[in-house]
Amino acid sequence: MQDILSQVINHYDVIDRFLDEPAIALVTDFFQTGRLRVQVVAIINSNPVDIVRESARQLFEEIPELIQPGGNAYTTRRHSMYLRDMDYFLRYASYAILTGNSSVLDERLLAGLRDTFNSLGIPLGVTARSVQLMKERVQQKLSEAQLGNSPFVAEPFDYIIHALSERNV
Amino acid sequence: MDESVMSIITRMIAVADLEARYLTIAELQTIRDFFEAGQQRLRIANILAANSQTIINTGTQRFWERCPVTPSNSGNPTYRASCIRDQGWYIRLVSYALIEGDTKVIDTVGIRGAKEMYTSLGIPLKNLVECMHCLKEAAMDLLSLDDGMVAMPYFDHIITGLTP
Repeated sequence: MQDILSQVINHYDVIDRFLDEPAIALVTDFFQTGRLRVQVVAIINSNPVDIVRESARQLFEEIPELIQPGGNAYTTRRHSMYLRDMDYFLRYASYAILTGNSSVLDERLLAGLRDTFNSLGIPLGVTARSVQLMKERVQQKLSEAQLGNSPFVAEPFDYIIHALSERNV
Repeated sequence: MDESVMSIITRMIAVADLEARYLTIAELQTIRDFFEAGQQRLRIANILAANSQTIINTGTQRFWERCPVTPSNSGNPTYRASCIRDQGWYIRLVSYALIEGDTKVIDTVGIRGAKEMYTSLGIPLKNLVECMHCLKEAAMDLLSLDDGMVAMPYFDHIITGLTP
């Protein structure tokens, strides 16, 4: 696992260069948004249960078949697994906001995830939708807290959604 | 990259992830402090990068005054060029370490195995350490007192790591 600083430095070390203009701009932006990144994560961390509960409610409202008999989230056990998995995605997104890159998502969340979900019969599209709903919920909370909506907030959520989405073969 | 060379941010995330929890307020405060100090460290790293040639030239002159009998001052152009090149490498490593706020990159790239390497190349370690002292002094001459205090530990880390 690397943050964006280590990622940049490893790259420049291999080519034996000091950081050039684009790299310095990248690092400068990371440091300058640092305080805000921490504030955003503090908001997420203080309300994870609320974010997950609200997003799940909305998900089951949009796709009511999920919780009806025979649905993928039917039975209390499966329903609670949906909540657990959503919390899992939210937690890794909160980590990635701090590292400024997707390394923690790639290594600790997404590696093998598609195969696991497919083998468990969990629909990936529904999962992607739940991540999208959590993203919107987080953005709403940030607006309420007057923290604006910096692009780095959506990045990890969008990255997860993209990774879960079906690809053209 | 293995676990032992993580940054302050990724180290904290690794611990939190192991316990399947979000970062605590205390951990977030540490990361916030890291970000705030980062802007100053980045600025110093940029000064070192922009002036690396001057630092190396001054350092080299000073080194030869103190250690006139050394491979790089023997008239052998290869030794001379290698000495200057390696000083450039160490300045570069200090600039990286400043940006990361951590000496791990210095250790992994420039310290582990360095003593064995220089010994096998016939470079006296005592002279090498003196050269690093001169490099540090040349850098300190260029930086303000405050900036110098931030950069100094990274040079000292190299000196300690190469001392026989």
